[in-house]
Amino acid sequence: MNLKDLLRRWRALTHRDELDQDLDEELRFHLDRLIEQNIRNGMTPEDARYAAMKSFSRVDQSKEECRDARGVGFIESLLRDASYSVRVLLKNYAFTIVVVLTLALGIGANTAIFSFANGILLRPLPYPQSDRLAVLDEFSYKQGRDSMAVSYPNFLDWREQNKSFEDIGIYFSTQRFALSGAGEAMEVRGSYISHGLFEILRVSPQLGRTFTAKEDTPDEEWVVILGHNLWQRSFGGDPNIIGRKIMLNSRARTVVGVMPPNFRFPDTAELWAPLALTTKTFTRTDHGLLSIARLRDGVTLAEAQAEMNNIAARVEQANPVTNEGLGVKAKSLHDTLTGDYRQALLILLGVVGCVLLVACVNVANLMLARATARGREFALRAALGASRWRIMRQLLVESLLLALVGGVVGFFLSIWALRLLLTAIPGQIPFWMNFGIDLRVLGFTAAITLLTGLLFGVAPALQTSRVDLNDTLKEGGRGASGVRSRARNLLVVAEIALSLVVLVGAGLMIQSFLRLKRVNIGLDAHNVLTAAVSLPRAKYKEDDQRIGFYKRLLESMRNLPGIEAASATGTLPLGGGGWGRSITVEGFPVLSVGQAPSIQHTVVTPGYFHTMGIPLLAGRDFNDADAKDSPNVTIIDERLAREYWPNQSPIGKRVRFGPPEDNEPWHTIVGVVGAVRHQRMQEDTRKSVYLPHAKIPVGGMALVVRTTSNPQELTGALRREVAQLDPDLPVSEVATMEEVVAESIWQPRLYARLFGAFAGGALLLALIGIYGVMAFLVQTRTHEIGVRMALGASRLDVFKLIVGRGMKLTAVGVLIGVAGAIALTRLMHSLLFNTSATDPVTFILISVLLSVAAFLACYIPARRAAKVDPLIALRYE
Amino acid sequence: MNQKQADLFKQGTLELLILRLLSSGSLNGWDIMQRIELLSGDVLTVTAGALYPALHRLEARGLISAVWRPSDNNRRAKFYGLTVRGRKQLEAQRKQWERFSDAVALVLRDA
Repeated sequence: MNLKDLLRRWRALTHRDELDQDLDEELRFHLDRLIEQNIRNGMTPEDARYAAMKSFSRVDQSKEECRDARGVGFIESLLRDASYSVRVLLKNYAFTIVVVLTLALGIGANTAIFSFANGILLRPLPYPQSDRLAVLDEFSYKQGRDSMAVSYPNFLDWREQNKSFEDIGIYFSTQRFALSGAGEAMEVRGSYISHGLFEILRVSPQLGRTFTAKEDTPDEEWVVILGHNLWQRSFGGDPNIIGRKIMLNSRARTVVGVMPPNFRFPDTAELWAPLALTTKTFTRTDHGLLSIARLRDGVTLAEAQAEMNNIAARVEQANPVTNEGLGVKAKSLHDTLTGDYRQALLILLGVVGCVLLVACVNVANLMLARATARGREFALRAALGASRWRIMRQLLVESLLLALVGGVVGFFLSIWALRLLLTAIPGQIPFWMNFGIDLRVLGFTAAITLLTGLLFGVAPALQTSRVDLNDTLKEGGRGASGVRSRARNLLVVAEIALSLVVLVGAGLMIQSFLRLKRVNIGLDAHNVLTAAVSLPRAKYKEDDQRIGFYKRLLESMRNLPGIEAASATGTLPLGGGGWGRSITVEGFPVLSVGQAPSIQHTVVTPGYFHTMGIPLLAGRDFNDADAKDSPNVTIIDERLAREYWPNQSPIGKRVRFGPPEDNEPWHTIVGVVGAVRHQRMQEDTRKSVYLPHAKIPVGGMALVVRTTSNPQELTGALRREVAQLDPDLPVSEVATMEEVVAESIWQPRLYARLFGAFAGGALLLALIGIYGVMAFLVQTRTHEIGVRMALGASRLDVFKLIVGRGMKLTAVGVLIGVAGAIALTRLMHSLLFNTSATDPVTFILISVLLSVAAFLACYIPARRAAKVDPLIALRYE
Repeated sequence: MNQKQADLFKQGTLELLILRLLSSGSLNGWDIMQRIELLSGDVLTVTAGALYPALHRLEARGLISAVWRPSDNNRRAKFYGLTVRGRKQLEAQRKQWERFSDAVALVLRDA
């Protein structure tokens, strides 16, 4: 096509009206000449005009052909189709609203779930070349434990010996720092990191520099790097902050750098201090560090893993006692972070996709019904010379237009839905999740919108355009209903099957969640308030200071009205923390660290079990007599007791902790308490021991307070008591124990709710679908029903006929759905708690429920059919 | 015109005829129609529904061009004339047609 052609086509498009006028004028000229000729041939002017018009009857069509000749026929007639569609859709606004809403909900739900999954699974992590970042973790292949965290000396060996990584860094997970001296005491989250860690992440500070190797050793000057937000919030974005000293945990640290905005690592850390570890302070058996490494260019994760296997074996050989049975696992950072969510999100995407399919089927059904009603319109158009393709295109344009509007509305719905979804994530949204709308989300929405339009548009379009003209015109627009009702039956079967799959999935998920909620976690969470109070090490240097502080605080709190009991623990159950060490039991074989089971250690003050409602099964609680210099005592949980002393009392037996070669002192068991789920509600196989705070006076404790009424009312009193003792101390993480428990299972709760919502939507759509088909059947078969009744069929026979038709479709749909569900729910296995993915009760119940609902949907049309008066029906045309 | 003639009077033939008529001067649609009937001795008739699309197709292909000017009865009419490209096309098609009809005549004579 040359330039001139292009210009002409452009002109044809843009000057459409002008050209149409041209054409009109040209044809009018012709017509007038024809009339003149007729008059000359002796006709009256009126006859002449009539004859000319008659011979010119195809003038409109020739106009169409002339337009086509301009070479823009396709685009132009497409535009005409679109404007015609708009008119048709506006005229049938009830239909349009129903379809658009159905589609908007379907597309909106899909876009929302996709945005959610996109923010977690698909977006790259916020670091340059983040796909080269890996995490190294230690695990005990003898014990079958997945993850042990890393010990400092092992890390040093890896760093020295490996060739796969540019560098390896280590850090402690985020912890609380008290920032004081500048106004009100504030709690800030921060992390101790090894030098070089920011270089591994490839993020440079916005101001100043990163840590030097020298700063990462003890006895060096105390330094700190601030996060951008903290710098803005607490220091007013002071450009001269570098070199300034700030008070952290009651100790002065010099600011050496400020990180750029939006930089986060790990979790919610806003400040960073050097680890400054030594192999003496952190030995090979102290596993508590996390690691991050950057793969060298060209090295794959598998190659790195192979090398790390060799290194771990060498380290094990060199340190047989401490490293027996220890291996190293290399995982990509992305997989490590997203691992928990991947499967659930993929399944959710599948389920919400099913709902959209059901919506599509429903809309296709509506379109078919409407196309039938419009049969005459199309037949007429076909008779007037419209091609089959032209009619199909008209219908497709209508479908796409509907999908487009549905897509746009759905997109805005999804923004709102996503916001709602995000409120389900407790606390701060993890740093690496990013839920903004990006091109991928827009592309996804556009793609499913288009797909949806084609999906529900093609079948009706094909069906309609296949209509036999003569039949339709003769039958008054009801032609070819046999073919079309077969298509509609198929759609109903598909709808029932798809909804059954979604319903079964939801049934399993909700059942699983309810079982999880009912799990006995071993304590009474009702009316318990919790809050974290950490003592800075610099100010509370001495053990006695820390012991005394918590003792005084708890005593004063116990005297407050409305407080029944108050105590403190180093690790709040289900609060996400934990301290595990190995155990050696007197009289049992001594096992090395790698072989011995890890035992949950919890440091508590006296009265903890009473406050939390943990039953004391034997022996005694800790009391004030368990002081610094008194004999070492411990309380164990029933699971540990059962394992070692199944048939006798463990009271008086002795255990010790840590690596056997360290010869730590023996602890005498003085009590046995009920088992508590510390780590996860789903399962917690780790056995527990409790130690008195007076013996291990840690400075970071969680207060637990049992109240007589609503625990939230005591928040203010709790803060006041702490401030009275030390105004510099921040109180954080104030929550009721019930909230802590609820937060620990936010994922199963969210999934159960989403599944429930999707299942409800799918069920509703399916019922509307089957009702529509049955009602349509009754309407188009009124004549037939009248004949049957005239020939002696009873009303019951007619009722049975209609219901039977509907239930036959339902039965086929249910059968296919059950088969599909058996295949698909298997994928859900790992998401289910104490619930089989092929739980027969759920399958049967859901099938019955769906069948009953389908029966009700058939009932109304069937009753209408039974009420048909044969006399009227026979005249009904 | 009966059905067989209509079949023979295919689109291409009509276009060739139009080009031929315009080669001796520009004409409007009505005149073209009259002349086709006149010249073919009323054997070939053409309807407006066939003629105007053909004219617009030829115009779109740049073989003819149109101007609005007064006709003999002083009404504004659209007059079509051959372009250079149209003239070349006519020459080429005329030759082709002659070859074709010669070939047909030859075959018929031999038979």
